[in-house]
Amino acid sequence: MATSLVQTKLYVPRLRRSLVARPRLSGRLSRGSDARLTLISAPAGFGKTTLLTAWLAAIATENRSVAWLSLDESDRQPATFWTYVITALQAAVPGIGADALPLLQSAQPPIETVLAAVLNELAATPNDVDLVLDDYHLVDGPDLRDGMTFLLEHLPPHVHLVISSRVDPLLPLARLRARGELVEVRAADLRFTPDEVATYLNDVIGLDLTPDDIVTLEGRTEGWIAALQLAAISMQGRTDIGGFIAGFAGDDRYIVDYLVEEVLARQTEQVRTFLLRTCLLDRLNGPLCDAVTGEPGGRATLEALDRANLFLVPLDDSRHWYRYHHLFADMLQAHLGDERPDEVTDLHRRASRWYDHNGQPAPAIRHAVAAGDIERAADLIELAIPELQRNRQEATIRGWLDAVPYEVVRMRPVLAVGFVAALMAGNEFEGVEARLRDAERWLEPAVGDGKEPHARSEGMVVVDERELSRLPGVIEMYWAALALVGGDVPATLRHAQLAIDRADDEDDVTRAGASAISGLAFWGSGDLEAAHRAYSSCVERLQRAGHLSDVLGCSITLADIRTTQGRLSDARRTFERALQLAAEVTGTVLRGTADMYVGMSQIAGERGDLHTATQHLARSQELGEHTGMPQNPYRWRVAMARVRESQGDLAGALTLLDDAQRVYLGDFLPNVRPVPALRARVLAAQGRWREALDWAREQGLSADDTLTYVREFAHITLAKVLLARYASDGDKSSLNDASRLLARLRPAAVAGGRAGSVIEILVLESLTHQVGGDIPRALGPLVEALTLAEPEGYVRVFVGEGPPMKSLLKAVISRQAGWDYVRRLLAAFADDDRTAQTATLGEPATNPSRRLVEPLSERELDVLRLLATDLDGPDIARQLFVSVNTMRTHTRSIYAKLGVNSRRAAVSRAEELGFVSRSRDR
Amino acid sequence: MSQTAKRQQAPGGYRLRVGGHLDQRWSAWFDDLTLTRESDGTTSLSGAVTDQAELHGLLMKIRDLGITLISVDVIDPPDKATPITSG
Repeated sequence: MATSLVQTKLYVPRLRRSLVARPRLSGRLSRGSDARLTLISAPAGFGKTTLLTAWLAAIATENRSVAWLSLDESDRQPATFWTYVITALQAAVPGIGADALPLLQSAQPPIETVLAAVLNELAATPNDVDLVLDDYHLVDGPDLRDGMTFLLEHLPPHVHLVISSRVDPLLPLARLRARGELVEVRAADLRFTPDEVATYLNDVIGLDLTPDDIVTLEGRTEGWIAALQLAAISMQGRTDIGGFIAGFAGDDRYIVDYLVEEVLARQTEQVRTFLLRTCLLDRLNGPLCDAVTGEPGGRATLEALDRANLFLVPLDDSRHWYRYHHLFADMLQAHLGDERPDEVTDLHRRASRWYDHNGQPAPAIRHAVAAGDIERAADLIELAIPELQRNRQEATIRGWLDAVPYEVVRMRPVLAVGFVAALMAGNEFEGVEARLRDAERWLEPAVGDGKEPHARSEGMVVVDERELSRLPGVIEMYWAALALVGGDVPATLRHAQLAIDRADDEDDVTRAGASAISGLAFWGSGDLEAAHRAYSSCVERLQRAGHLSDVLGCSITLADIRTTQGRLSDARRTFERALQLAAEVTGTVLRGTADMYVGMSQIAGERGDLHTATQHLARSQELGEHTGMPQNPYRWRVAMARVRESQGDLAGALTLLDDAQRVYLGDFLPNVRPVPALRARVLAAQGRWREALDWAREQGLSADDTLTYVREFAHITLAKVLLARYASDGDKSSLNDASRLLARLRPAAVAGGRAGSVIEILVLESLTHQVGGDIPRALGPLVEALTLAEPEGYVRVFVGEGPPMKSLLKAVISRQAGWDYVRRLLAAFADDDRTAQTATLGEPATNPSRRLVEPLSERELDVLRLLATDLDGPDIARQLFVSVNTMRTHTRSIYAKLGVNSRRAAVSRAEELGFVSRSRDR
Repeated sequence: MSQTAKRQQAPGGYRLRVGGHLDQRWSAWFDDLTLTRESDGTTSLSGAVTDQAELHGLLMKIRDLGITLISVDVIDPPDKATPITSG
């Protein structure tokens, strides 16, 4: 994004020199300084922007900042739109959203996460902020609706949204209107009254019109300021004003037609030509106009037009850039098309050339396409692609694809592959294969098994030589990706290896990509060791290429693999190494950092160290969701649910899992631990095996399924549920099914090297024997599990099974008295019991909530902690992103459960019980 | 063709009536629709319209010129000008 372009979009338009005071409108708008949304909705030329700038100038104080954003059609894409919004806000609140911005460049930008982070920062600013979105109709659409609605709902009271649009936007206006949170100014309000017309024409413009003249003009124009301005220009310096007015009034023509023609007729030939030739441009400056008109003096002409008020809108303070008022530009274009149709192509061509020379590819391409210069547009696109890819603006590339006919793309291998990248980034796979084959056709089999691009063969068109040399490797990588999507593992691995072999020596990124694709293929087919190797290569290469955030992302995968393999220490080391890497990056928190803490929390939890597990989750939360990958909100909640479960708060765990499901975002990795399976486990633990079995039925899971790695977790869950059923109602067939299933799961897990799963399976096998009354037979698998688990310090997998496991472990100890590990596990059971009693030494127990008759929910704990601060009710509600009513419901419930009836008493009791420490240092 | 069959086909032509008399040069701006200045002070823009996307594009152009939209009628594409159903 060229900086100058961005600056013009953020520029707050200057207040016009002479304006008509319109107190009735200022009155309407003054309510807007407190309103959530101020909407100015009227067609073109009604003076929306002028009114806005006047109003903002009138309410300007030291404690009020304006963030202005002038929108264009190209801003429709959510990632682009929100990036600009945050950039605009930075003018009012320096540095806001700096951490969140990079998130908008990911494949599925987590808009709500980003907005939540920004809203938090807004809540903390002291100033009033007016966020102005001008020409909103250019971007309005369903894509932005959810994000905009979220923003509106959670706007802090001192932040105001102001929208100017030609069309009512797709927002919940009726709701806002009903709640009195909307201030509207519409066309009927904006029309100039006869008094205002008189003031404008006589006082501001300096004409000397009679009251009859005013009435006639007001009647004919209906108070439409654009028409009045045109009329004013026509009347200035004219001797026979009466004649003009009569002619104007008696004419049936569309008034803008009539008036613009009048205006144009009164310009010099030079100015007229200038206007017609430059009206195709979105933005104008001196040099650009010179290039397009073919005449010098553009800057001077623009300044003169500006002074004469001829519909030029300045876009910056230094008066370099302007644009025409939309209505005027449309008029001129119609005239141009009518009077000089053969000039149009050439004008676009000249504009395209100028933009290209001045380093602005997007408008250069737009004008090239408009000129019908497809070959040239294709050249420009090819050259623009690498930068756009770096900035993850694949959607822009995708947009250009439609402008370039297939026959042209076929001859351009680099362009074709660039489009392939854009298509796949948007999950579009149609046409990818054909384009890859077309590109490949230009590669010549070289020595060995490699391929070299033809040296300038007949017809091939390439502009970006460097990209051409990368092509052999890149094409294979996309073949691999395509094969992966199609589920063809052997083909995926074959192409990925070719990609690595054929990639350019310095092309670490392609090699990394190919390694990751292999890793995915291995993972999906259950070969975890190979997957780990592939991902490790990927990480190495990413690190060399400097893509550190991606290193963190891959670390999650690496640690996940190690955990499944039962190697908790190795998993932990992976996270620690990644955090070290992140620590070396100064000035910003590397994206993915929050996820490292979530991962470490899970490992600590497995080892029974709930204190550390909770601390890590707190740290992750402190850093903020925006410092994690897009899946962070979901991962955090899953980890927290596990903590709650370990504390015995099964209801709390379920709430969190439901939440996790709500915010779940898929990524490329197969979902081996789906939330519904996690839920089923908690349900089984609660004795709700019927609902858990419903889940199994929905998933089509049965004890006799063919076993695959991807469904292993789900199958182990099924075994648990069946066991829970037997424990509850003695249904023999369930027990048999469970045994049968486990007996098959075990060898599969052993063969796949998945020690983590093996331990769990053995524990369950042991329990099936125990519950069937055969204690001696139960000990075999249990001892095997303990032996596997001891080196890695597993605790939860045993302690989570409760009293049945406790008695089995006692049986083990009675046979092997010296086994310390088992003693430690038994002690961990005792800790669990202790937390169920009242605290003795005033230390907060692991879960103080358990000491209440009815424990507080997660949400209620959040509210309670905030009650212990100085925040008032509405502020607390805002912090939690709920309505004041919801917060009050929580508060009432908290008071009831704590047995109090005031905030102070609640806080005091909370401190007693250890929910809240007496001095918090958050 | 029965009445039901007609209704199931997407309209291939429209007549848009707007307030005021438009200059002839606007015909090209509005995708070469036939532009007729009516005696009641309105202007008709009529002709073939490929699909709904094109129709909404035309409506947007009308909106952006600040012209008042008076009516939208479905018509048979170019040759016939009799309206079949009301818009």
